[in-house]
Amino acid sequence: MRLLWVFFRIGALGELAYRANFFMQLLESAIELGTALGGLAVVFSYTTTLGGWLPDEVAALVGVFFLVGGAIRLIVQPSMEQLLESVREGTLDFTLTKPEDSQVLVSIQRVEIWKLTDFVLGIAVIAVALTRLGARLGFWEIAGFAGALIAGGIIVYSFWVILASLSFWFVRVENILVIFQSIYEAGRWPVTLYPRWLRIGLTFLVPVAFATTVPAQALAGRLSWQTLAGAFALAVLLFFVARLVWKVGTRRYSGASA
Amino acid sequence: MTGIQDVYRQQFKTTLASFIQYRASIFIWTIDRILEPLIYLVVWSAVARATGGRVGGFDASQFAGYFIVMMLVTQVTYTWVMYEYEYKIRHGSLSFALLRPIHPIHTDLVDNISSKLITLPLMLVAAFVLVVLFKPAFSPPVWAAALFVPALLLAFAVKFVVEWTLALSAFWTTRVSAVNQGYFVAALFLSGQMAPLSLLPHSLQVAASLLPFRWMISFPVELILGRLSPAQAAAGLAAQGAWLCLGLVMLRAVWRAGVRVYSAVGA
Amino acid sequence: MSQKSNRSDGVFPLPPKRYSCWMESSDAIRVRDLRKSFFVTERESGVGAALASLVRRRREEVTAVAGISFTLKPGEIVGFLGPNGAGKTTTLKTLSGLLHPSAGEVSVLGHTPWKREKSFLRQITLVMGQRNQLVWDIPAGDSFELNRAIYKIPSPDYRNTLGELTDLLDLGPLLRKPVRNLSLGERMKCELAAALLHRPQVVFLDEPTIGLDVTMQRRIRAFIAQYNERFGATVLLTSHYMADVEALCRRVIVIHHGRLLFDGELGALVDRFTAHKTIVIKLEDEGRDLARYGDVISREQGAVTLRVPREETPRVTGRILAELPVIDLTVEDPPIEEVIERVFAGEIS
Repeated sequence: MRLLWVFFRIGALGELAYRANFFMQLLESAIELGTALGGLAVVFSYTTTLGGWLPDEVAALVGVFFLVGGAIRLIVQPSMEQLLESVREGTLDFTLTKPEDSQVLVSIQRVEIWKLTDFVLGIAVIAVALTRLGARLGFWEIAGFAGALIAGGIIVYSFWVILASLSFWFVRVENILVIFQSIYEAGRWPVTLYPRWLRIGLTFLVPVAFATTVPAQALAGRLSWQTLAGAFALAVLLFFVARLVWKVGTRRYSGASA
Repeated sequence: MTGIQDVYRQQFKTTLASFIQYRASIFIWTIDRILEPLIYLVVWSAVARATGGRVGGFDASQFAGYFIVMMLVTQVTYTWVMYEYEYKIRHGSLSFALLRPIHPIHTDLVDNISSKLITLPLMLVAAFVLVVLFKPAFSPPVWAAALFVPALLLAFAVKFVVEWTLALSAFWTTRVSAVNQGYFVAALFLSGQMAPLSLLPHSLQVAASLLPFRWMISFPVELILGRLSPAQAAAGLAAQGAWLCLGLVMLRAVWRAGVRVYSAVGA
Repeated sequence: MSQKSNRSDGVFPLPPKRYSCWMESSDAIRVRDLRKSFFVTERESGVGAALASLVRRRREEVTAVAGISFTLKPGEIVGFLGPNGAGKTTTLKTLSGLLHPSAGEVSVLGHTPWKREKSFLRQITLVMGQRNQLVWDIPAGDSFELNRAIYKIPSPDYRNTLGELTDLLDLGPLLRKPVRNLSLGERMKCELAAALLHRPQVVFLDEPTIGLDVTMQRRIRAFIAQYNERFGATVLLTSHYMADVEALCRRVIVIHHGRLLFDGELGALVDRFTAHKTIVIKLEDEGRDLARYGDVISREQGAVTLRVPREETPRVTGRILAELPVIDLTVEDPPIEEVIERVFAGEIS
């Protein structure tokens, strides 16, 4: 935890000098948000519900999308991209010789501080959407939301680690991380809309559903405890799989670069 | 064999060879290109289901047809020069292009076409799969089918010229990503990628027709889906031609100005 | 020297060529009072200044080249010497058309470089030490074919030139390998070959041997000399390595702070800028004190190195030979590096 704070500070201080970047990021995030909400507006000009979801519920989903996306782009994505680079260039050696757990180190090694805007915007959108819904958020809803977010976070993080670790075996695929980023776009809409085969893919193959739709379902008061339990189970499972893949991968890397 | 055809032939061989080395990466990029129209297909089909089957002249199977064709047309007209030029100018690799006795646009054009040749088979397979899964409605009138290829080629030409000119904004600003983003957001809505243009508010439809966006992607799609009358199709082709000429004029002017700026500062 | 005609090929027509009457038709390169300044935005550190810079940019003018003039005749190999930031690369880029000057006149093979006329570009080449024009993932041979098409090299000429370059540079096994698999030295050889396939009449080399090992540096130097002999190309080369200049260039242009300090033969450079010579003496009797003959620079392994004013050298040498038991005596110029360094450091002007 202390380590996380150190890296965070380093990343933040480095970027703080570039105020212009903050405004650029704000602009960029605002445009993205505008695009997402604009799409919503067009769709909902023709219908009042979408697969059982109300407009403001889908808006809340968009908020969750930005929230989780922001958290990913803040730490997970930059660190994993750095990992890919260091595997390619052999500089992972430096990390592996440090006295801290290597997986932890590579996971927090880079922080893009200005992506916090996504995170904040996401929260704002959720807040506004929930107010418009007049939602009464009881203890269980909030707990469900928090739980779903945590489970979703662990699932997504583990997925990224597995994806990035594939670079130990396939060196030539530089844009392997793009797989998640492309498919994550599907998370802007409720996964329940998609045909069955796509829903399964988005739940188990590339776990976007657990990142966005499930927490949003909690907010909309629609989360069944089975889904939540399933999320936690998957989180635990993926976490261990990721750890295993990491360990095997680093062993292979060390063997290969000797 | 001398002349520009020879350059094209050689450049084509080199680019193709390079891209084949990166086929795994290209495969991953292609997934993105398949996913985007797929998501909108599903969403709009859901909207159609929710409103009793039809939305503004489209039912679910027509939406399927629209987005599958949109996927292919978007792929054929796809350009990434805007990202490329920011990189090139920042890393000074544009200097090499400037030292050669041919205009850099030729290389970019060949690059573009050869990558399409690699990705198109995959796209066609994806389209086939989607057709099986979503059973789209598709019955183009014969004359529309005949005009489709010219319309498609013109669309590509317009898009390429416009985006190449915009790419040169990298000569003047380092914040090209902002320019890119603004452009692509506009394109998402106004070129029919997010929804058929006829479903957008009227003001946006007008904007899409006055700007080149409709003529870059939406027009060929509308044409082959049989949603245009012959008169409208003819007008559309004329609009494409007009935008192509305008685009070429601007390209030349902006290129000259850009080289002037670049050669004042260098890299 | 044949000038290619102003054909319009490719997509866009060319602007007309203008002949300047001050240039002799036998000059390959003519530079008159070249000046080049850049505008650099300045910003102080700190949050306040950062915010201020979003609103208003402060620009400062940095002069890279402050009025230099020189002429090169066809077939000359000239070395451009100067420390970093002296203006060498700026000048080279201006001569190849990548930069246009703030003031002054430049003519290369009768053309104004920054007009970038196709007929001009076909007759020159620029090789930059650290940067590649070869396509990374494919064999060098394929990049050569691409250049053949771009420069419209007729097939027989292409085959001949490629053959000669392959011989001179020992390229045989390298042509089939993807460029990314070549070592740094092999890559440089292929870069040079690619740049010379169209037999340009003017060759600009920007730090061509940088980063290479000593053997490869010697090979490249030998190649450049052979190429110049065989094809009569005018070569303008910049380098940090004195060895490059010494080996290749009879004439040297020294540039510092954007100004021309010296233009002439390498030997004359040493003569002009050094006031001293060094005498290395080996004596039978090692303990002798030589301070009265000159400054003792070093004393090692039985050899004493003396520094003596240039004019005094014959007299002092005579005295030493007459008065001391000398085994061996050598009179040397100070190493050129030292001379150049001291020129740049402003100790001599």
